[in-house]
Amino acid sequence: MTLKEKIESGRFVVTAELGPPQSSNGNVIRKKAVHFRNVVDGVNITDNQTAIVRLSSIASAKILLDEGLEPIIQVTCRDRNRIALQSDLLGASALGIKNVLCLTGDYVTFGNHPEAKPVFDLDSIQLIYMVRKLTKGFFLSGEKMKTAPDFFIGGAANPFAPPLEFRVLRLAKKIRAGAQFIQTQPVFDLDRFNEWMRGVRNYGLHKKVAILAGVMPVKSAKALQYMIKEVPGMRVHQAYVKRMEKADDPKEEGIKIAVEIIQELKKIEGVRGIHLMPLMWESITPRIVEEAGLKPK
Amino acid sequence: MYDEFIEIELTTKEKRLKPWERRFSQIMLFFENVIKIPLFRCQRCGECILSHTAFVCSQRCPKRMRNGPCGGTREGGYCEVYPERKCIWYLIYKRARLFGRLSFLTRIEKIHNWNLEKTSAWFNVFTKRIEPPKLFLRSKK
Repeated sequence: MTLKEKIESGRFVVTAELGPPQSSNGNVIRKKAVHFRNVVDGVNITDNQTAIVRLSSIASAKILLDEGLEPIIQVTCRDRNRIALQSDLLGASALGIKNVLCLTGDYVTFGNHPEAKPVFDLDSIQLIYMVRKLTKGFFLSGEKMKTAPDFFIGGAANPFAPPLEFRVLRLAKKIRAGAQFIQTQPVFDLDRFNEWMRGVRNYGLHKKVAILAGVMPVKSAKALQYMIKEVPGMRVHQAYVKRMEKADDPKEEGIKIAVEIIQELKKIEGVRGIHLMPLMWESITPRIVEEAGLKPK
Repeated sequence: MYDEFIEIELTTKEKRLKPWERRFSQIMLFFENVIKIPLFRCQRCGECILSHTAFVCSQRCPKRMRNGPCGGTREGGYCEVYPERKCIWYLIYKRARLFGRLSFLTRIEKIHNWNLEKTSAWFNVFTKRIEPPKLFLRSKK
């Protein structure tokens, strides 16, 4: 079953994020994939996250496909204009990739080539629209193509960044543009997430799109502090910071927190799955999935 | 489940300006700049959507988002790229709420036509290349 079919069948799905290496070594991906096999329903492959050059997401996705996993390629507007994006998407489809997550992308100054030209020909909503148009058999220009790609289209949502009131409306725009599933930023503030979900339910958006809530297991208090400081738009409840600081074994505490958050998220109406982001800690995924009771039968 | 997608058209098919149009546009752009740069810090995209964004120029965003804000807005509404600046889309939202123009922000803005970059938006309205500015949104029945 593909990710789309799993979501449509009403199953609570789990996706996880995988960062390709900063080298041409494809074996790194194969090694990381071991932790995900038979554990998660889809694997997100980042597209040069934080603007640092990495192995291409489509190439990584192909490696994952060969390993028998279902990849979700992330596509950002930072590096490619509409011509390159369409061409890459057609190529991805030809390789058998079925899921696309459309993002605007981090700005170039965050990465290791801060002097690069930021492209941003489209924004994330327009990119979702473009992918949708491709699946309908049209190029962005309106010209028809013979064989249309078949994509399950995703978008991202950040329920934690200001202006908070506008985030639900922006989600509605993404759905109108053609988003079919949504992956959110990591949840470290359940109150705020609940508030956002209330807004989402008010507009009935949870029925139109599958929302996968982000969860990030952290290794140490330092890592959590880093997230708060360096990742714009993150919101972390102070209780978690304190717990991580006080813990004798921060790794165990990090797992405990992640599992706790997943348990809470499962109860929320409208949350259709979990998106795990074990940054540089892929090996922990099977344990968290099992402890949270998300193991597929 | 996913039938929310309505057939919207986000691309513009407007042709490039002819040489004589370009010359005329340049003259108009001079006068446009005199007004729009001091008032709105206009970025001369040529497809003005100021009336949709509560008269805050959305193109001041480093990512030039036409359907912002991105997910990186910092606590307090600051830009992710320039932490000392306010996020343009945060300002747009605040201003739109103040003026009762939030309904404009629920519309999806069209994809930028780079042929119109650095041309006069007034001339483009005049030659029907772009939509004229809207003071009010007509409510749909």
